[in-house]
Amino acid sequence: METMRLYLRVMKLSILQQVTYRTALLAGLATNFFFGLLRAAVLLALFQVQPVVNGMTQAEGLTFVAFSQALIAFLFIFGTYDVMNTVYTGSIGADLARPMDLFFYWMARDFGASLVNLVIRGVVLVAVFSVFYPVVMPATIGQWGVGLVSLLLGWGVNYAFRFLVNLTAFWTPDARGIGRAAYTMLMMFSGFLMPMRLYPDWFSRLVALTPFPSTFNTPMEIFMGLLKGPEVIPALITQVGWLVALWLLARVVLRRGLSKLVIQGG
Amino acid sequence: MTAIISVRDLRKTFRVLVRRPGLGGSIANLFAPHYRSVQAVEGVSFSLQAGELVGYLGPNGAGKSTTIKVLTGLLVPTGGEVRVDGQVPWEKRERYVKGIGVVFGNRPTLWWDLPVIDSLELLQPMYDIPAERFRYNLVEFKRMLELDEFINTPVRSLSLGQRMRADLCAALLHEPKLLFLDEPTIGLDVVAKEQIRRFVLDINHRRGVTVLLTTHDLTDVERLCERVMILDHGKLLYDGTLAALNGRFESAWTLKVDFEEEYPDVSVAGLPAPQRVGRQALYLFNHRELNTAELVQQLMARFQVVDLEVRRPPLEETIRRIYAEQLLTK
Repeated sequence: METMRLYLRVMKLSILQQVTYRTALLAGLATNFFFGLLRAAVLLALFQVQPVVNGMTQAEGLTFVAFSQALIAFLFIFGTYDVMNTVYTGSIGADLARPMDLFFYWMARDFGASLVNLVIRGVVLVAVFSVFYPVVMPATIGQWGVGLVSLLLGWGVNYAFRFLVNLTAFWTPDARGIGRAAYTMLMMFSGFLMPMRLYPDWFSRLVALTPFPSTFNTPMEIFMGLLKGPEVIPALITQVGWLVALWLLARVVLRRGLSKLVIQGG
Repeated sequence: MTAIISVRDLRKTFRVLVRRPGLGGSIANLFAPHYRSVQAVEGVSFSLQAGELVGYLGPNGAGKSTTIKVLTGLLVPTGGEVRVDGQVPWEKRERYVKGIGVVFGNRPTLWWDLPVIDSLELLQPMYDIPAERFRYNLVEFKRMLELDEFINTPVRSLSLGQRMRADLCAALLHEPKLLFLDEPTIGLDVVAKEQIRRFVLDINHRRGVTVLLTTHDLTDVERLCERVMILDHGKLLYDGTLAALNGRFESAWTLKVDFEEEYPDVSVAGLPAPQRVGRQALYLFNHRELNTAELVQQLMARFQVVDLEVRRPPLEETIRRIYAEQLLTK
């Protein structure tokens, strides 16, 4: 009970902290919006050649662009390096001297920041975008609900993946390089750059075997109604499966890492 | 009485990658890394009784921080036995750190962009502190450390001294039995240092908190610690009272004398010739061989003396000699 209260409080502090970065939030919003316009222009060119691509219409393509740009900051698509930085600066020592679990502590911190990003960068971006383009919103409350559940599951899978990437700092002095490679994979295989449906069939089948589509592609397809009715169930089960697997893995790796950790400096 | 901290034959060896120079070297490092062992701590043993306030001294790289990291559960040692309050620090870390307080002088532990009070209030659910107890402690520490003037200021805007006071408060709100201070006064001005020292003395005396303190500031040690442990090259060189350390290793004392008139010869048998400036003379003497009273009596019998002052060398000087001349390893 107290543990829950602790991590909720951490989340609250993270929200407070995130809103103090007003300028950064607005600059981020502007950047996401600008690149959204650019991506929309590319997609419009594509759809002029062919009105329906792999079952996606032009409006759906534009909706995809709007939502993906809106969720960049919520899902930290470009990755995070916070935990590895605490390893390299040695400030992880101060965190470990506190009775808390690093995995849940950083989860609460990240989630607080994500919520602020979702509201300020996400909602505003979709709203403005839909003034310029025909963005298709989920039609029913049910679709919204399932979409949100899927988005939360996706966030969890994505968090565990980022946490694992950060943990490599326990073993190598150059975890940043690993991070850049890993986050490039995340960007490509999660369906953020392009919906998985637009990739060649063999490629999307291959990528479907990885956890990446569960972070982003699955909630997007549910929001856009590309996955409907009974199709949603296996998609959600896959997400839960990856969530459990990556969480367990992250916890095992964290324990192994801490047992051999060398706190730098001092 | 049983020891609250007992350390037996503590050892910690680090593996350090030896980097070879040049491009060829980098490639060789990648495929066949070459490691060198560095012994940070080699067989250190000591114990602390509850309520002690002990200074842990040593030059940079002596192994002080490594010891503190082992004692705070951050590092698993290579060998040896450690029991702190009946627990092994690195096993069940989360449970263990609930009972200790830690301040790292050079590392902020508070949320950088938020007001101090936010970070402090986070500690209540973290340590499961009963709400009433928490309020009571917060009020008391706010008063003792004068936190009110900046408690609503974001941590990043605090001065170093203010941040250290906030860090101390954050290390003690959960009423730990044990406090580890790793260079708590580093980089602070004299006033701020003094405030920190008074606070540490107070919680040691009034709350009975056992304190282990590393520092390079020997005034900290003189003001706070009866007992000191001196570490060098991973080995414990000295463990005992500060008074005994001074008794054994202090270099010559100085007696400053002002005479009534300028005598032609004021030298004392058995002592080197004094330095003289006008009517003043400075005698260097070994306090272990000649006690001050005898020397003064001799001088008073022979001359008209106006003023006398005995000066002891500062602790810095004693410690410097211990390191430089390796007095303790002989």
